[in-house]
Amino acid sequence: MTSAFFALFAALTAVAPPGTPDAAALLRDSDRARGGLAEGVSWTLTVESTEEGTSTRRTMDVRARNTDALAETTAPPRKKGEVILFNDRNLWFLKPGLRRPVAISARQRLQGEASNGDAASTNYARDYTGTVVGDEIVDGEPVWKLDLVARSKDVTYDRIRYWISKRRRLGVKAEFLTVGGDLFKTATFEYGNRVRIPGGQEIDFVSKMTIRDAMGAGGTTVLTYESPRAETHAPSVFNVNNVVR
Amino acid sequence: MTGAWRLAFRNLRRHRRRNVVTGVAIALGYMGLVVLGGYAGWAERLIRTGSVYMQHRGHLAVYAKGGLKRAEAKPSAYALPPETQEKIVAALRADPRVAHVGRYLIGSGIVGNGCKSFAMRAVGAEPDLERRLASHPEMIAIWGRATGPVSGRAFFDAPGAEAPVVVAPRLARALEKARPSPGGVPATADAPLDCGAPDVRQRLAADPFVQLGARTADGSFGAAEAQVVGLYRPASTEEDKTALVAPIELLQRLYDTDRVTYVAAFLRDHRDRAAVERDLAVRLRDAGVDVSIHRFDDPVANPFYAGTMAFLGALVLFVVLLVANVVAFSVLNAMTLAAIERSREMGTLRSLGFTRTQVRGLFLRESALLTITSVLAGAAFAAAAALVVEAADVRFEPPGSGTPVHLQFMPAPEVFLGTGGLFLVLTLAATFIAVRRKVRTPVAELLVEVAA
Repeated sequence: MTSAFFALFAALTAVAPPGTPDAAALLRDSDRARGGLAEGVSWTLTVESTEEGTSTRRTMDVRARNTDALAETTAPPRKKGEVILFNDRNLWFLKPGLRRPVAISARQRLQGEASNGDAASTNYARDYTGTVVGDEIVDGEPVWKLDLVARSKDVTYDRIRYWISKRRRLGVKAEFLTVGGDLFKTATFEYGNRVRIPGGQEIDFVSKMTIRDAMGAGGTTVLTYESPRAETHAPSVFNVNNVVR
Repeated sequence: MTGAWRLAFRNLRRHRRRNVVTGVAIALGYMGLVVLGGYAGWAERLIRTGSVYMQHRGHLAVYAKGGLKRAEAKPSAYALPPETQEKIVAALRADPRVAHVGRYLIGSGIVGNGCKSFAMRAVGAEPDLERRLASHPEMIAIWGRATGPVSGRAFFDAPGAEAPVVVAPRLARALEKARPSPGGVPATADAPLDCGAPDVRQRLAADPFVQLGARTADGSFGAAEAQVVGLYRPASTEEDKTALVAPIELLQRLYDTDRVTYVAAFLRDHRDRAAVERDLAVRLRDAGVDVSIHRFDDPVANPFYAGTMAFLGALVLFVVLLVANVVAFSVLNAMTLAAIERSREMGTLRSLGFTRTQVRGLFLRESALLTITSVLAGAAFAAAAALVVEAADVRFEPPGSGTPVHLQFMPAPEVFLGTGGLFLVLTLAATFIAVRRKVRTPVAELLVEVAA
């Protein structure tokens, strides 16, 4: 608690480097490339996790619109039809044979090192208070380093250290911390996809997120984003009662 | 009765007032210790049966190596696979001291009602075995009505129910399932639910189904549906918010595994536990099964039982020492006075030809008779106290247990005999010390000695 307080205090009182951009604007821009599009977007997500020599794989069709998302498992066959619905900050899990959805948490593990919240579109601009705390070089690329503190308890992580490319304004690396400030997961991002959004503009879109366990056995989970496309989704798609039916 | 015993008896009657006072001290001390022993015995049976039957530990539980601490978190590595289960079950069933064998799967996760979810700790058990254990004579004798469901039915007694489960009362209230009806499925159970509607609580209460969610053995998220058929009392209050008991098949489906956390053995006589454990370890080692066996009194597996019994033991020992001191000093005091007062009598007996040993033996016989009479009276008082407590029907909730129990004193025959033996040794030793020096005094001095 004390370390978290001091980290927050340090982040808030840090002297920003000259020409520091607005953290909220940086987060908004980087969110777009991770599914946080108001207009709607779809992609196919493959989650492959390796833990203590055991590998598992799951494929999901994800539809996202603003802060809502619907992730439906298509493989393996015995998991087919399982759905995670992100309705604003409410999360529901459904599967064939259940009369009612199960209210779940964004923090619960989806598979391997990936939390449920990792499978959906990213809305760090909404969920976190960001502060630019410095600039560094990551893989030869100049980046802004941000400290993100959760605005509420129902988001996926309490604290994030986030590195955003200065030129591309895309998140390239993240460290996920407990409320006490302990590092427990790291992630790197690649942007090999392009999406044409309404208005004709083409933007970079995430193609790979690699999550590594920083505390335990060193498990790795790779989220691969394929076939991203801008699509219009009606709000009713994300209504839990419609999904149950 | 020999002459010496007859003489001792007459002497007791001659010094009636002092002997009555000493005898009452012995009787009350004896009664106190027997009642305390009865209470300790009852408390031990209460905690033991709670651990063995209500908490499903069995007298022995066989885990995979490291499974006691890790099977719940990582069942794929630390839970027992089917072939190992079979070997353990076969080894236990071959032992005539084992009455029942059961497989258990313990896990955590969430349980939801369609609107909200809550943390749960689930126990998966074999319905047939649970039915037999619920009516076990020792359970009925100690826990009485508490062995049955608080409301509704037990999960093993709900024919026609789909995946029946019982939940602890506080968890049931949180889920809006405080009044389960194990009957048929209402028509509204399949209708869409608006969690913001004003009648949502009534809708949830009328819907007997809950949804269980958990991390499966392969690390992904799984869910299964269950029907709440009853509420049950968990063995401790800390489980009241999270406990759920289900058929083991349902939990295996939820966790997507055919493994179990442990195999438990229920013995015909709990005193055989060490011997059964020893023999089982040899048998399993010979069969090439690498497991760890934990008894219900293992401080690592059941720190509550071990800690409570250690505390109770220390308390009983302290009280026994206290009472033993009081009794010993009362007898020492009474016999010292008697020896001083009866100096002339001792001198006369010595003059008549009684040896020192015979005179000392006379006093020891008096002491033994007084102790035996007092102990018998104390035993009667203790039995009366037990009857009074039984008639008063005192019920209370032991600390940490959410279940009201019926206070009983159950002194075992060995408590009566052991305490009686202790008192006899104490009083004889005190008497010996009190008269030892006096009988060595020369006869002439004894004859002229005047009591103060």
